[in-house]
Amino acid sequence: MPDLSFVFAQSLSGLTAAMFLFLIASGLSLIFGVLRVLNFAHGSFYMLGAYSAYQIVQWLGTGPVSFWVAAFGAAAGVALLGGIVERFLFQRLYGKEELYHLLFTYALVLVLGDVAKVLWGTQQKSLSRPPGLTGALSLFGATIPHYNLFIILLGPAIALGFWFALQRTRAGRFIRAAALDRETLGALGVNVNALYTGVFVLASFLGGLGGALITPMRAIVPGMDTEVIVEAFVVVVIGGLGSFWGTFLGALIYGQVLSFGILFFPRFSIFSIFALMAAVLIIRPWGLLGKPLK
Amino acid sequence: MTRVLTLLLAALLALPIAAEAQKPIKVGMPMPLSGPPALFGEPATKGAQMYIDEINAKGGVLGRKIELLTRDSKADANEAVRVARELILKENVDFLVGTLTSAEGPAVSVVAKENKIVFIAPIPKTDQLTAADKLHPYVFRVAANTTMEGRSAAEIVAKWPVTRIGTIAFDYAYGQDVTRAFVEHIKKVKPSVQIVDQQWPKLGEQDYNPFINAQMAKKPEAVVSSIWGGFFVTFSKQAKALGYFDALKYNFIGLGEAGSPETTKSMGADYPTGIWGNSYDAFYWEDNPGAHKDYTARISKYLKDQYPSSWAIQGYIGMQFLVEAIKKANSTDSDKVAKALLGLTIDTPIGKQTLREKDHQANRGQLYGKTAKDAKYPFSIMKPVTYVDPTKFMD
Amino acid sequence: MKTLSRVPWALLVFAAAFFVPAAGSRYYTFLANDVVIWALFATSLNLLVGYTGLVSFGHAAYFGIGAYTTGILMKKVGVPFLLAFPAAGVVAGLFALVFGFFCVRLTRIYFAMLTLAFAQIVWAICFKWNEVTGGEQGMPEIPYPDFGWLERVAAWLPIVGGYRTSDYFYFLTLVLVAVCLWLLRRVVGSPFGRMLTAIRENPERAEFIGVNVRRYELAAFVVAGAFAGLAGGLFGIFNRGVFPDFAYWTKSSEVLIMTLLGGMGTFIGPALGALALIWLNQQIVSYTQYWPLILGTILIVLLFVFPGGIAGAVESAARRLRRRRQVA
Repeated sequence: MPDLSFVFAQSLSGLTAAMFLFLIASGLSLIFGVLRVLNFAHGSFYMLGAYSAYQIVQWLGTGPVSFWVAAFGAAAGVALLGGIVERFLFQRLYGKEELYHLLFTYALVLVLGDVAKVLWGTQQKSLSRPPGLTGALSLFGATIPHYNLFIILLGPAIALGFWFALQRTRAGRFIRAAALDRETLGALGVNVNALYTGVFVLASFLGGLGGALITPMRAIVPGMDTEVIVEAFVVVVIGGLGSFWGTFLGALIYGQVLSFGILFFPRFSIFSIFALMAAVLIIRPWGLLGKPLK
Repeated sequence: MTRVLTLLLAALLALPIAAEAQKPIKVGMPMPLSGPPALFGEPATKGAQMYIDEINAKGGVLGRKIELLTRDSKADANEAVRVARELILKENVDFLVGTLTSAEGPAVSVVAKENKIVFIAPIPKTDQLTAADKLHPYVFRVAANTTMEGRSAAEIVAKWPVTRIGTIAFDYAYGQDVTRAFVEHIKKVKPSVQIVDQQWPKLGEQDYNPFINAQMAKKPEAVVSSIWGGFFVTFSKQAKALGYFDALKYNFIGLGEAGSPETTKSMGADYPTGIWGNSYDAFYWEDNPGAHKDYTARISKYLKDQYPSSWAIQGYIGMQFLVEAIKKANSTDSDKVAKALLGLTIDTPIGKQTLREKDHQANRGQLYGKTAKDAKYPFSIMKPVTYVDPTKFMD
Repeated sequence: MKTLSRVPWALLVFAAAFFVPAAGSRYYTFLANDVVIWALFATSLNLLVGYTGLVSFGHAAYFGIGAYTTGILMKKVGVPFLLAFPAAGVVAGLFALVFGFFCVRLTRIYFAMLTLAFAQIVWAICFKWNEVTGGEQGMPEIPYPDFGWLERVAAWLPIVGGYRTSDYFYFLTLVLVAVCLWLLRRVVGSPFGRMLTAIRENPERAEFIGVNVRRYELAAFVVAGAFAGLAGGLFGIFNRGVFPDFAYWTKSSEVLIMTLLGGMGTFIGPALGALALIWLNQQIVSYTQYWPLILGTILIVLLFVFPGGIAGAVESAARRLRRRRQVA
């Protein structure tokens, strides 16, 4: 019988991983839900968020708020990039086949990956945890770093904030409407194109923020764009493409599967992500909380 | 008149030979220049280029200049084969020095064998490259191999006051082989040792928390890890936050060059100072053969970095062996150069290196040391740092 | 103009291709060999993408399975190429049957994601199963097929003799790929093939007139997988080794890009795409390490300016020429 503190530690690990993934996957889910596009380049925005945060910290030095300024600045920069890409390139492809959207986002991955390489080179980079969140607390015999706790709390905070915005604000209502029926919304006089750009900007902001906030816990290296995108897809698929709470739930489940999976199937972690995705797609393709795609 | 004619004739005959002599010696260098392994591949190509620039400045070799043609192999065995073929058949390179991953090395080795071109591998550690059934006259390795690395670690860990040991390695050939070499050897050297836990994250894992927790639950007294490159940075940041190194009292050795200046430099204060690590090179290595200081000064200037990469030296040594063999064979014919390489001993910045006849493997030890802070540098270094001679581990 | 279309272009190209080793350098023979194998791989994918409208992100799985089948049979078991090659197609086809069964129950993006998931599972098995597949290090040095009999033929037909093993393999590849492409052409032109096109245009209407859409899609999936497996079987030998990244998603994306680049709307498009991409790759990699940047840019330009790919662009140019002639 594994002891309690170990089980607790593992589930907290799973929770931290889940909330990070949620942060990243929520942007992906948003774009899919509204624009009906699977944005491979979302991982690239995540990576650019990380590199930009690193760069900003290099300029500002390691003061008490430089990390937060960097995180926000990076996310904003990435959001801007997302907006430009959507407005001037992506919008031209809307009438065309889905395959073209996918290939466009893939082409973006190639381009942005090399841009990052040109700007920051191939050597790994690293950022430290911001001052104020460098400690850890001990709970039930397990050590929980404060930064992990911050992420664990941030996840639901963002989820709730989002949910509130989607349910209660006008823009939120439009977004939900666009997800259901774009044409009618356009006929009602709403500038759907601007809405789409806005959604893309918001999603990119989340992706960039995820990248920036993960830097204290991971190295910033080339290849981090494609690493994360597959995990984000799996989370979105488990929860249901287009369902916001589905993504949250998917992230939670995925986090725990990873954490405890290594205890039951110690040398098969290479399979877990794809086996999970295949299982969900075979058994219940629209995910736990999604609706069947027409 | 006859004398003039004879001289003219001689000159005309000498012209094609002279033209031949002016053609540069071409060396192909397939290396990953994109993706995570580019971290090592890129500095290695620069190290090779620096050596070539120096040789060319002195007039080249056998009166000919050397030209290095690098290609991005993308850490993909199929791409490595493609670029190797392009280099050999289109660019007509005389030799190949390169590859990094454990799949690229053997793949290019086959191409080299079939085209009878000398191939020197400066980085792949897989035993497969020089295993008895895969060895052929044209393949040589100047990197360490997993057997040497695992056993060197065992010798060091055997001296620690610990008996319960854990391992953590990526679940693929390199991680499995190094771990196995370590476990087999330490059981010989210190039979009281127990391997109490083994963690096998998948190659490229981003979230090590579950593995760290699981390992800490077994309460090992020491851990041997072979997690490398950017992944080590990720792993150790997460581990440090969870108090992993404290629980181990820093009885941790990071193989896979976790003690390298690149790693300590990139992590700064986040580096778990106090652990052991290894590295191919360290610019701060003081207790070294004289050639090292000179090399370090040159590579630092070449890379425009006061803390130069530790991977450049592998490209450098690879080229050194090649050029010295060309000189010894007095020819650029691969068959002659291959023979010249057997048993060749040269002076490298890290000391004398010999390519063994029996398996074409150089006695490439690495630098090992316990990391500590040093007032001279804004990051930790291995202090004291010792070169572990692997000669007794190679069989 | 009509006489031009009567010329058996395919036959001419096929015949001309035989002269590459004699005319060009060894390097161009390898390049041609590379292109020919990928042309088959890309055309097999187009059966799914262009003709049936099913976008697969995991076609490399069958390529990899074919490569490992031939590789394991020839290297470890010592089976001759004559058996090991078709075995690649059979085994890949079987896997396509099993995976495809689950995939065709889904549509569009879900279909694509499941093909990707299966392909990555295949990759993971190849990566981990050290005993059988060689693990991450793969199986270097797959033996060439035995060409001894050609030496005997060369005794009374001297033109056949005097080539290197790699050249003989190139000729063999040419013949085998030509046969496979011819077969695929027959499939595409058959009633079965035309039904696939109908399914692509409007699956509901097809369902409505009584067609079991799923069964047709599964059949297409299996055929595509089998031919990808045959391409893989050839590639393992050509590459002098089989490695897990044959099944990795990057290979799937490469072949998908080839199909798009060449033009999904025609039969010959993907083959043109294979030629263009491999040639471009070689050219650019010699000059810069930023191949992804260039490829990405080309893709973007393609998507906006030439969505029909090379074949599409050529076709529309030819159409415009014809119209101008008619007016004149």
